Parts: sequence; structure tokens; C-alpha cells
Amino acid sequence: MKVLVVDDSATMRRIIENNLRAAGYEDIVHAANGLEALSNMAGVELVLTDWNMPVMDGLSLVKEIRKNPAFSTVPIVMVTTEGAKEEVIEALKQGVNDYIVKPFNKQTLVEKVEKVIGG
Amino acid sequence: METQLLNPFINSLINTFEMMMAMHPEPKDAQAKGNDTTHGDITGIVGFAEKNVIGSVAISFPMDVAIRLYNAMTGEAVSEISRDVEDSIGELCNIVAGGAKTVFAAQGLTFHISIPSVIVGRKHSITHKIETPVFVVPFGLEGMEFIMEISMKILDS
Repeated sequence: MKVLVVDDSATMRRIIENNLRAAGYEDIVHAANGLEALSNMAGVELVLTDWNMPVMDGLSLVKEIRKNPAFSTVPIVMVTTEGAKEEVIEALKQGVNDYIVKPFNKQTLVEKVEKVIGG
Repeated sequence: METQLLNPFINSLINTFEMMMAMHPEPKDAQAKGNDTTHGDITGIVGFAEKNVIGSVAISFPMDVAIRLYNAMTGEAVSEISRDVEDSIGELCNIVAGGAKTVFAAQGLTFHISIPSVIVGRKHSITHKIETPVFVVPFGLEGMEFIMEISMKILDS
């Protein structure tokens, strides 16, 4: 399964990647913002994205993915510090499949990923 | 600035360390900051603002502590400062501010937080650009120390 990890923090991309690799996910690609992510969507089967990023934020990325017929059904998990109820609702309304509030641990990350891909 | 405004930041920092690094920092008594110089070698800083609130939070570490935190966060084993270690301190500050933001939002106080900045250098200065006292909260961590600085002002609406 090809996974796209989108976060402007290289550290957070590495944390997510290292945790996913330890859980058996090996095909992982990165992007530092939403715009970069859109150009890396080919073959992607799961997207994990931050919300607050420069250039294009995560919510805009979700909207772009959902309106593109080629990618509209790809599962998306938002991984963000935005933990207020209203923000979670807004992200789900825009088409996010699940939501992880930072800080998180490895178990939460892997459980949410497996839930959205039906594992 | 009322000192109870510090608690969401302190609790968020403890939760972040426990969740992401399995570390248990112990807060000590908060004190008013006397000058702009900080004690750390590397500092992450995040500003926040909305029409009725303004402020900033900075977390400052000795270099060896920053490297140890990076290794604990990522599972790697670096021994020197790098762009990645600097990035990790910014992200750590971002997560701590985000956790506090969620607590304040539940109390009806909403604000946006900035993308984090990172300052590196011995005895660098941190100036919080609002006219309210800055509080310094020292933390003990497995025989090491670091500090968090918080400046927050709630404006009359």
C-alpha cells in the first residue's frame, strides 16, 4: 500500500513514517504542503495530512482530493494539533475519514490507519 | 497575566512528552521573567492571536536535551545538532501550543497559532512582543532542565 505523508515538519513526517514502517507499511512518500502532495498523488492509496501548513493547508488539500475523480475515494486521515470539536467536524464535513490530534502515540496512529483502510 | 492561564500550557507540555517520548517532565514554580536572555541553546517559539487574545509561548532547551528529545521522538540515534533537530523543537512547541489552544477553545477562548520559529545559539534573547509579564516555568527531566516561557494577554472586547 502506497501511503502519502503530508506535514511541513520533517520531524513529524519522520515520526509517522517510522511508526508506519514498524507496522509493516513500506511504500511511503512525503510532501511538505498540500500543493506538493497533489503532485505526488499518483498511485497513493492512503493520505495522512497535517492541517496547518504553508503554501496549501491540509483542509484545502482534502477539498482538492475529494473533487478529483481520480482520487476522490482515497482514504484521508488528518493528523493535526487542531483539536477543537468544531475543527474536527469541519474536517469530517470536507471528507476526512478519520482524525488524529497531536500528540499521539504509535498505537493510536496504527489503529486509525487500519480502521480507515478496513484492516 | 493571571497565573492560571499557565496551566493549559504546562499540562499540554507534560501530555506531549508522555505521549510522544514516554518522558515525564516535572514542572517547578513559575516565576516572572527578569530579562530577555534565555537559558537554553535552542528555542522553539509560537505566537497566537485572535481579536480578544494575544500571546506567545517559547520552550528553550540545552543542546544535549534537544538531541535526546529528537532521538526519543523519532527512534533515531543522532549525536549532533542538525536541521532535523531544530525542526523537532519547532514541532514540539507547535504541539504544546496546540494542546493549550484546544483547552482554551473548550472554555470559549479561541485563537490561531503561528507556524513555529526556532532560534539557535548560546544565551540568545527571546522577546515576547506584548505588554504583559512573561512567566518562566522550569521543568526537571531525568536529571536535566529546560524552561517554558509564556506570555498571554486577554483583551477587553
